[in-house]
Amino acid sequence: MAPDTPPDQEPFPISYVAGRYLLFDPPTVAYARRRHNVIGVLIGTIPNLSQQNVFLGIPLELQPEEARVLVEQGHAYIVDDAAVHRDGFLEMSREDRLAYLRDMDEKGAEISREVVRRAKEKSEQALREKGLRPSKKINETTSTNADSSLFDADEQTGPVVKAPEKRLEPTYITPTTSYPPLSRPQPSHALGFPEVPKSFPLFRYLHGKGYFMMPGLRFGCHYSVYPGDPLRFHSHFLATGLGWDEEFDLLDIVGGGRLGTGVKKAYLIGGEEKGGKKKAEDILTLSMPSWNPALRPNKEDEKKPRVDVEPVRAFSIEWAGL
Amino acid sequence: MQHDHQTQPPPTMARTETDIAPPPSAPIQSLIAQDTSTKTHDPTLHSLALQIQHNLQYQHNWTSLHIHTHSPLTGSLLPRPLLSGLPPNRLYIHPDEQIELLKDADRARKAQKEGETGALEVKAEPEREWILPARLSEKWTLRRLAEVFDGISEVPPEKEDVDSEGKKGKVSRWRETKRVVLATVDTDSTVVYYIVQDGVVKPRQN
Repeated sequence: MAPDTPPDQEPFPISYVAGRYLLFDPPTVAYARRRHNVIGVLIGTIPNLSQQNVFLGIPLELQPEEARVLVEQGHAYIVDDAAVHRDGFLEMSREDRLAYLRDMDEKGAEISREVVRRAKEKSEQALREKGLRPSKKINETTSTNADSSLFDADEQTGPVVKAPEKRLEPTYITPTTSYPPLSRPQPSHALGFPEVPKSFPLFRYLHGKGYFMMPGLRFGCHYSVYPGDPLRFHSHFLATGLGWDEEFDLLDIVGGGRLGTGVKKAYLIGGEEKGGKKKAEDILTLSMPSWNPALRPNKEDEKKPRVDVEPVRAFSIEWAGL
Repeated sequence: MQHDHQTQPPPTMARTETDIAPPPSAPIQSLIAQDTSTKTHDPTLHSLALQIQHNLQYQHNWTSLHIHTHSPLTGSLLPRPLLSGLPPNRLYIHPDEQIELLKDADRARKAQKEGETGALEVKAEPEREWILPARLSEKWTLRRLAEVFDGISEVPPEKEDVDSEGKKGKVSRWRETKRVVLATVDTDSTVVYYIVQDGVVKPRQN
């Protein structure tokens, strides 16, 4: 898969499942990472081997902050996956349903035939290695067996030759995608903005500056801030978002500053500056057009800022080395 | 040994109340007591500034330390008395400046004659710094921190009465953001120093 392939269209849907924001489509995951500095965390694992969590796969879980910036900037929309599936499958026409089931059966039969063919190849190979040529008769029997339906299998086993009693067991397929069979959910059914923690203004500010954010638990902060893709760069900041009038202890500043300097990073605190001067970058975010009709009741509102963005002020802290 | 011990009475017994002279006051105590400057702020903030000044001067060899009570930009009262001073060595080198300085040092070493194997000498002149005194027990907010930064110039003026205009020629081109040295003092008089910069400034790669 080419990583540059954009998803079919923007905005792309983000699945909201049980309080999580998920992406299931690998091209979309790559696209969000490359174009929109949104990394998320891969959380997919094998259901029966959930301890095998060294290499996780899709789905990609987005932090609410990440989902929010994508929605605010019009790159994505949130879809309630449970509702989409319930409505989609209940409203599916009988013909579509049967066609889909037939399609699944056909694919299952295909897999069964392939399994039988491989098993036969393997046994032939084994016989050849022992210097025995498999008789043509067995060959023919099994091949017709594979092609015909399983009910005929018993009658075809001849009394002279001991043919392998292999039935064509149908394979049942568990569908792994919802789109298809369902059509892609439309932005008109999107949910509103994701709910975000109070550190979000700092996240949006840093995201707007082109930084990549990862969860900051490892360093006891809200976000580890990277100047580029985390696969290529070390992080620059340990960021903690605060309210403009939220009190903090100087001990937190000393602790964060000392830890950050110890790992060649700076501790960053910041928040929305109440009544501060709006800069060009804030206005840029404000003028973003609204893609979502639900958030755009009339044309007048389209001109107004959709999100009330206050300017953010941040302070970088490092140990002075005195 | 046991004999000596018996002949000397325990020290507590020997002392009477009249013998106890008041101990000489600590240097920092007398410094604060002798301070005659006009109190523009809460006296505890003045004594805090003096304490930090004393620490910088005698423990870290800083020079030309001044206490600033008014903003050099607007002339209005600062949220609290701030200090400015000159460290013995450069306190902060921006990572980009460091790259430049290392290149210069490398060129200087290569320019030397073959026989002389000099070490890489990075020359960074010390710069004047702002110092923000604070107590560990204080609560701070982003607003209060921003008020401090709004009141100061990028580089501290030499003296409080000298306006910063005359000194602008000396400002290093790397000093693009305001910075203060946050001096936090605990009740046991331990002082820790942290550099706080106004804005998102990438960290040093020491």
